[in-house]
Parts: sequence; C-alpha cells; structure tokens
Amino acid sequence: MTADTIFECRDLHYAYQGKFPALCGIEMTIAAGERVALVGANGSGKSTLLNLLDALIFADRGSISFRGGVLAEAAFRNESFSMDFRKQVGLVFQNPDIQLFCPTVREDIAFGPLQLGLDKQTLTNRMEHLTATLEISRLLDRAPHQLSVGEKRKVALATILVMDPDVLLLDEPTAGLDPQTTTHLVGILAQFSRAGKTIVTATHDLHIIEDISDKVYVFGQDRRIAANGSPVEILGNTALLQANNLIHVHTHHARDHRTMMPVKADNNER
Amino acid sequence: MGSALAFFRQALFAEETASLPGLLQSLDPRIKAATLLSFLLLTLFTRSLAMLLLIYLLCLCLAVLSRIHLGSFLLRTWIFIPLFSLLIAIPALFSFVSPGKPILSAGFLCVTEQGIRAAGFFIGRVITSVSLTVLLSMTTRHFELLKALRAFGVPQMFVMVLGISYRYIYLFVEIVENTCRAVKSRVGSNIHYRKGQRLVTWNMAHLWKRSYHLNEQVYHAMLSRGFRGEPAALDHFQTRVRDWLWLGGCVIIIALLVYAEATTRT
Repeated sequence: MTADTIFECRDLHYAYQGKFPALCGIEMTIAAGERVALVGANGSGKSTLLNLLDALIFADRGSISFRGGVLAEAAFRNESFSMDFRKQVGLVFQNPDIQLFCPTVREDIAFGPLQLGLDKQTLTNRMEHLTATLEISRLLDRAPHQLSVGEKRKVALATILVMDPDVLLLDEPTAGLDPQTTTHLVGILAQFSRAGKTIVTATHDLHIIEDISDKVYVFGQDRRIAANGSPVEILGNTALLQANNLIHVHTHHARDHRTMMPVKADNNER
Repeated sequence: MGSALAFFRQALFAEETASLPGLLQSLDPRIKAATLLSFLLLTLFTRSLAMLLLIYLLCLCLAVLSRIHLGSFLLRTWIFIPLFSLLIAIPALFSFVSPGKPILSAGFLCVTEQGIRAAGFFIGRVITSVSLTVLLSMTTRHFELLKALRAFGVPQMFVMVLGISYRYIYLFVEIVENTCRAVKSRVGSNIHYRKGQRLVTWNMAHLWKRSYHLNEQVYHAMLSRGFRGEPAALDHFQTRVRDWLWLGGCVIIIALLVYAEATTRT
C-alpha cells in the first residue's frame, strides 16, 4: 500500500443473509485522485461493493482499508472516526427516491452537512454555488416527488457534493437519463475530478466509461473481478465484454448483418 | 379506485392552494398555526352561538382573502357534516336525548328547544373547527406545518419521522396507482370480487414488503450522510412585520370576543 492509496480490498467476500453470495474474493486498490469505473452485468456485485466501500455493510471475509485503516463495524462506534469517514466519503445511491428522504430539496441538500456539523453560513454558500452549477436552484422548495428522474438524479448528486467529500461513490448515475442530462452530469464529474477528488462509478453505460474513468474493473457473473485495465484496453476487448454480458450481438435479420450493442442500463441492480 | 386515490392525493397534498399568493399563505407558519389554534380553542369553549357564527364568518373571509375557491372550501368542510348530524345532532333534537320545552311533536317524538340549541351548537362547533383546520392545511405546505411543530416543543426526531413518512406516502400512493393501472391493463375493470379481494390482499402484502425494504435503504442513505441518531435540521423561518401585525390583530379580536361573551353572560 502506498501513501496515496484510498481504498484497498483484499480477498473480499460478502453474501446477503449469509447464503446469497454477492462478492467473492475481490482484490482492488484505488489511489487518491483516481477515476475508477466498475462495470458488470446485473447482479454482479457492483452496488454491493459500493455499499461496502461506504461502510454501510461489512465484509463477511477479507478486508477493506481506507487510507491505511481497516473499515470494521467496531471502528464506527467511535464518533470522531465515523464523522471523519462520512465527511471524506460520499455515496450517490442508484435509486434517487432512497437518497431524497426529506420533504423538500433544500432540506435534503442540507441534511448531510448539518449532521456533520457544518456551520449554516458555509452551508448556505455551498448550496447556492452548487445548485447554480447543477442548474437546480429553482427546485429548492419543491418536494422530491414532484421532480423528474433527471432532476432527482441531479439533486441526489447535490446532496453528496455539498458535503465536499474527497471520495465520491456513484451507483449508476446516468440510468434513465436523456443524452443531454448525461453529458451535463459527466461534465460535473469531470470538474469534481479536476479538483483532485477520487471517483468510483458503478455503471452499465459503456458510452461514458472513457469520460469518467482512468481504470476499469469488469465484474463477472461469478461475482469476481474478471479483468481490469485502462478504458481503451477494456473497451477494445470485445470478447471480454461479450463474455461478461456487457455487449450483445444484435442481429438485423432483414439486412443479414451483425453489430455489437452495449447492454442498456437497468435499475434492478442490487 | 383511481378516483379514491385522486381524492386522497388531493386531500393530502394541498400544495396548489398553499402556493397561492394569499393572506394566510404569506404568514409565518408558526404564527399562523398558533393563532388558528387559539381560534379553535375559542370555538371549543364558547357557549355563544353568535360567537360561533362570527368565527365561522371569519373563516369564510380568510378563505376568500387567501384566494381559496369558496366552493371547494365549503365542500371540504361540509362533507363530514351529514355523518355527524345523523349520528349525534339529529338524535340530540329530541326529548329522549335533550329533555326540555317542546317545540314540535309527532307521536312519541318530541323536538325540544334545548335539543335544537344543543344540535345547533354541535354542528356549529364541528363546522367551525373543521373550517379552521382546513384553512391551516390548505394554506400551509405540509412540511412547513411539520417544522412549525418544533415551535410548540415537539421533539426534532418526531418531526423528522413525520416528515419522512409524509415524503414516502406519496411514493406509495404512486406505487398503488401504478399497480391498479397494471391490473386494469391486464384483466380489465370487471373482475370477480373474490379475485379483486385476492389482488388487494396481495398488493397490501407486497407494499408492506417494499416499505420494509425501503426503510432499510433509507436508513443506509441517512447513515451515509453522517446521521448518528440525533438529527439536525435547517430552520429558515423568518418573521416579518406582517406576521406581527396579524398576531396583534388576532389577539385583539380574540380578546374582544372573550370580553363580549363574558359581558353578555353577566
């Protein structure tokens, strides 16, 4: 482990209810400022890994280290450690309806910073700046249920960015978004990355991989890492993508020729 | 089912009227809640029918000044009256419930003066109380109403739980609505009542399961943003001159009404 290592996973295993395996023997190192993409088919364990990295659940076997310290359930009983970790790591959930649990957008954005003890003036300044950047200022007094999917995703991102974390974990951030909103979101992530932050994104959307990552981990159906490499290496390996259900052969019967199509994003990933 | 859900949604989420630029909408929710609650207490404790009438007229004036459509306001407030009348007010008219000076009799049934007065009081109290409550809920966004509870000493945790419940009721209404549409698109509206019962029961169980799962996920989302069991909340209420003018006006009106009733009684 080097000084700039953020996360280090060693022989990581996790099973839901102790009997439904979600991750088996994951080995992974994420460095500070790195942009990592986790790609894989439904049920390959990407979301589970993000939950483990955010210390919402804990490994059955193996370990995860964060800046050299092991992430164990016991460590989070220490309030200062817990607060410090939550300040540094933010997770944007796949389903924005889970992330947005307050009655208004303003309260949702303010929730994290207030729990972490940020003073109200700094919070107001950050909120103004962030909502202007994300173009959601007009939504502040709206209820989350009144927003479109794209708006919900932007607000969900704002609830984390407002905490100014060093590490941003994103679960399918572009699922269900139109191309324009996707481009806007990718642009915001690029800005965040330029500020030296670490970004880990779980996605099916192969179109954005090159824009959001320097390193790609491919998750196989056996819940292990099938391969890792640069986006160019991974996206150039058609056999690997096809074997892991990330692209499929699309047959045009009428014209009698075949093309490779990326698998569309799905909301059922656990 | 669809219309029932629409009514439920309309009754629960009076966002439209709460966003109108009217008198009550422009007031600080804490002061508005406190003053309307004072009028409610006055309604419950008064012994004067004239006082009830005055407060009810005040409610109608406030509804108009708050740009609430009078028809829909009257519908919302009078909708419960037939139920109350049937069960309580009508029996109270007769001598077997309210013995006293007979006004009208038909066989063994005898309407008494005391009965008419008791029934009038009952209906007057119910309609005025309901009107005050409906005014408050129609002119205040519900999340603001919840936050105003903090001013009355309700613990932050309780307010937060209510807020989260309110937020997710909408999601569940949407799920139920979508399920109804999905059932209708596959089996149509004319299904046997036994099958209908089975579908409703299955949906209730499914919804409960979903809400249980959601509960766990929402807790994780809260935990992820630093929640440790002691919620901190944003408080952006600010009183303005008009709030103090309103408060002063209400105090004067209430004092005058109480004084008038006291002098009339003596």
